[in-house]
Amino acid sequence: MTTAMAAVRQSYRDDKRQKAIRQAGRVGRLNPLLFLAPAGLALLAVSVFPVFDGLWLSMHNTLLSAQRSDFIGLGNYWQLVGDDQFWSAWQHTLVFTAVSTIAETLIGLAMALVLHETFSGRGMVRAAMLIPWAIPTVVTSKMFGWLFDGQHGIVNWLLVQTHILSGPANWYGSTDTAFWTIVIADVWKTAPFMALLLLAGLQTVPGALIEASRMDGAGALQTFFYIRLPLLLPTLMIAGMFRALDAFRIFDLVYVLTGGGPADSTEVLSTLTYKTLFSALDFGYGSALSVAMFATEALVAFGFGLFIMRGMRRANG
Amino acid sequence: MTDRSEHNVSGRSASTSGFGRRSFLMAAGAALATPAILKTISVARAGSPTEITFSSAKFFGKQTVAQVVDLFNQSQGEIRVTYDELPPPSSSTEVHQGLVQRLAKKDGSPDVFTQDVVWIAEFAGAGWALALDDVISAAEAAEYFPGVLAACKFGGKLTALPWFVDSGMLYYRKDLLSEASIAVPETWEQLTTAAATLMKAGKAKIGFSWQAKQAEVLICDLVEFIASNGGSILGPDGKTVTLADKPAIEAVQFMYDTIAKYKISPADVRSWDEEPSRMPFTGGDVAFLRNWSYVYPISQDAKTSSVVGKVGVAPLPHFAGGKSAACLGGYQYGVNASTKNRDAAVTFVKWLSSPKTQLTFATELGLAPSRPAVFDSAELGKAQPFMQTLKPVFVGATARPVTPRYSQVSLALQSAVSKAVNDGNVAVALTDAKKKIESIVSA
Repeated sequence: MTTAMAAVRQSYRDDKRQKAIRQAGRVGRLNPLLFLAPAGLALLAVSVFPVFDGLWLSMHNTLLSAQRSDFIGLGNYWQLVGDDQFWSAWQHTLVFTAVSTIAETLIGLAMALVLHETFSGRGMVRAAMLIPWAIPTVVTSKMFGWLFDGQHGIVNWLLVQTHILSGPANWYGSTDTAFWTIVIADVWKTAPFMALLLLAGLQTVPGALIEASRMDGAGALQTFFYIRLPLLLPTLMIAGMFRALDAFRIFDLVYVLTGGGPADSTEVLSTLTYKTLFSALDFGYGSALSVAMFATEALVAFGFGLFIMRGMRRANG
Repeated sequence: MTDRSEHNVSGRSASTSGFGRRSFLMAAGAALATPAILKTISVARAGSPTEITFSSAKFFGKQTVAQVVDLFNQSQGEIRVTYDELPPPSSSTEVHQGLVQRLAKKDGSPDVFTQDVVWIAEFAGAGWALALDDVISAAEAAEYFPGVLAACKFGGKLTALPWFVDSGMLYYRKDLLSEASIAVPETWEQLTTAAATLMKAGKAKIGFSWQAKQAEVLICDLVEFIASNGGSILGPDGKTVTLADKPAIEAVQFMYDTIAKYKISPADVRSWDEEPSRMPFTGGDVAFLRNWSYVYPISQDAKTSSVVGKVGVAPLPHFAGGKSAACLGGYQYGVNASTKNRDAAVTFVKWLSSPKTQLTFATELGLAPSRPAVFDSAELGKAQPFMQTLKPVFVGATARPVTPRYSQVSLALQSAVSKAVNDGNVAVALTDAKKKIESIVSA
C-alpha cells in the first residue's frame, strides 16, 4: 500500500518535473530572442529606420524654409539623372576611391613587408608609422594646405629649387591639380593604417612555410609571390574593402582644403550632399543624393564581397 | 548624515546601490534646482514683467551681446529679455540651422532674433518674420543706409530691422601709390593700370588680391563686380535672372582677365577666400586688396603686419559709367511672426536698432552702425576712428540676390562663376547658371 502510494507520488513527481523541464525548454528557446531584443531594437532604431526614412524622404520635395513637404514619387530621382553636378561628383568620388585605395594598399603592403622584418628599433618605427593616421583629418588638411600653398608652400619651393618646375604651381587653385593633392593627402594619412592591417595578416603566415620554401631554394621574390601573397590575399581583400568604403565617404579633406572647388573639380558626393542638406536645407533632394550614395556604396561593397566569397570558396576547396 | 550618504555612495553593496544612487541624484537635483526656483520667485516679485526671448549669433568685443541685453533689462521694468546664444557668425551654417529649427516650430520662441542679411528673404518667404511696416514709419526708415534697408525688405514689406553693416572695400598701399604718384583708383581700368605699373616697378609682387574660391565670398565679389557695371544677378522681382545679360558677362570676364589677361592677380586667388587673400597684403606683397572691414585692425598691428601706417581704405572701383558697389554683409534683426508678445518684441527690437544702442555696439563690440547719423557722433570718432572713415564705403552697400531660395541660388552661382574664372568660358557658364537658377527660383 505504502509502496503503491509512494510509486504514485513518485510518478506524479516525475510528471511534474518533466512538465517543468518542458516549460523551461520552451522559455529557454525564447530566452535568446528576448536577450537579443534590446540590441535588435537599437539596430532597428539607429540603422534600419533611418535608411528607410531617408528613402521615404527622398520621394518628397521637403524644403524646410518653404514649409512644404509633398510626395512627388521619383521626381527627385529624375532631377538627379539630369544633374551634371551630381554626376561629376559621383565620378570624382569613384575615381578618388579607386586611386586612393589602390595606392594605399600598395604602399601599405610595402610598409608592412619592411616592418615584418626584424631590425633594431622596430617597435619604435611601428608606433611612429601610425602617427599620420592618428592626426585628426582637419589638422592633416590644414597641414597639406600649407605644404601645397601656391605662394609659400614647401612643395613648390622644393620643386622650383630642383628645377623640376620653372615657377610655383597653383596646386589648389587649378582644376588639374586640386583633386590630386587631395588624393596625396589621403594616401599619406591612411597608408599606415593599411600597413597595420596587412602587418597583422603577414604575421598569420606560418614561418614554417617560409622556411620550407627557402630550403627549396626560393628567392625573396618567389617567396613573396608564391607563399606570402596568396596567403595574404583574404586579408588584403578585406582591408581593401574597408578602405574603399571609407574612402568613398571622403568629406573632411575636401571640406577644409577646397570646399569642392575650383570649378567643382573636387566636389565629391559627401560634400555635395552636405551642401544640399545643411546649407540649402533641401531635405528632399539631399535625401535622394544620399540614397544614390548609399546605392553606389552598396554596389562597391557587393563587388568586394563577391570577390572575397569566391576566394574563400576556392581556399576551402 | 552627510557622512552616511557618502558612505552609501562609495562603499555600497549590490542591494543598496539603487537606493544610494537615487538619493544621491535627488539631492543633486534639488541642489541644482534651488537657485532656479529662487530666481523665479524674485522675478515674480518684481511686478511680473513681460518675458520675451532673444536669439543671436555670438558677437563680442570689449563687451558681449548678453551684456547689451542686460543694459535693456536694467533700463526698464516692463520687459524682461532672456538671451539665447547661437554659435558665432563664422559657423554660419550652424547659426542658420539653429534659427530655422527654432522658427519652424512656430511656438513664438524666440520672440526676437538676429539673422544674416542673406536669410531675410528666406525667413520672410516662410512666413516666420513679422512685417514691421506698421511700427516703423517712413521717416524712421529713411534714417538707415538705403542699401541696408533695401536688404531688409522682402516682397515690398519691411521684415527686418538693420543692426550693423559690413561690406567689401578696397584696401590700398598709401606709400606705394604716393611714391609712384598714382591717385587712388576709382575705376577698374585705373586699378588695372596702377597695379600693373607697381608690379612692373617691382614694388608689389601681387597687384590685386581678391577671393575666387568656390565659396560664399566668391558671390560677394561677384555682386560687387556686376553691380559696379550697372548689372545684377536677379531682377527686382526676384524671379527674372539677369545673370547672362551683357553687364554681368563683362564683369565676370573682367574677373577672369585680372588673372589671365592683365595678370595683376595670381592664379592663387582661385583658391583664396578672405584670410589667404589678406595674408600677403599684411605681409607687404600686395598693392590692392578687396576685403571686409576686419582686415584694418590686423593691418595696423605690428605683430601681424609689416604695413602698419601704410594702408588706406576706399570704396571699391567701378566700371566706366557704373557706380561703386560694396557687397553688404552683417546681421539684422527680425521679429518672430508667431510671437505672443508682439508689443514687447517690437519695443525691444526698436531699442536694439536705436542710435544709442548702435553706438554702444560700435564702441564696445566694434560693429559698424547701419545709421549714417551715428557715424558722425564724436564718441564714435574717439572710440573707433577708422570705422568713422568707412561711411562713404557703406553708402554703396549692395545686397546679394534677394530670394527665399538664396542658399540654393548661391551654390549654383559658386559652381558656375568658379568655372568661369577658371576656364574663361564666361558666357557659357553664366547661361548654364541662368537656366539652373531660373528653375530654382520658379519652383
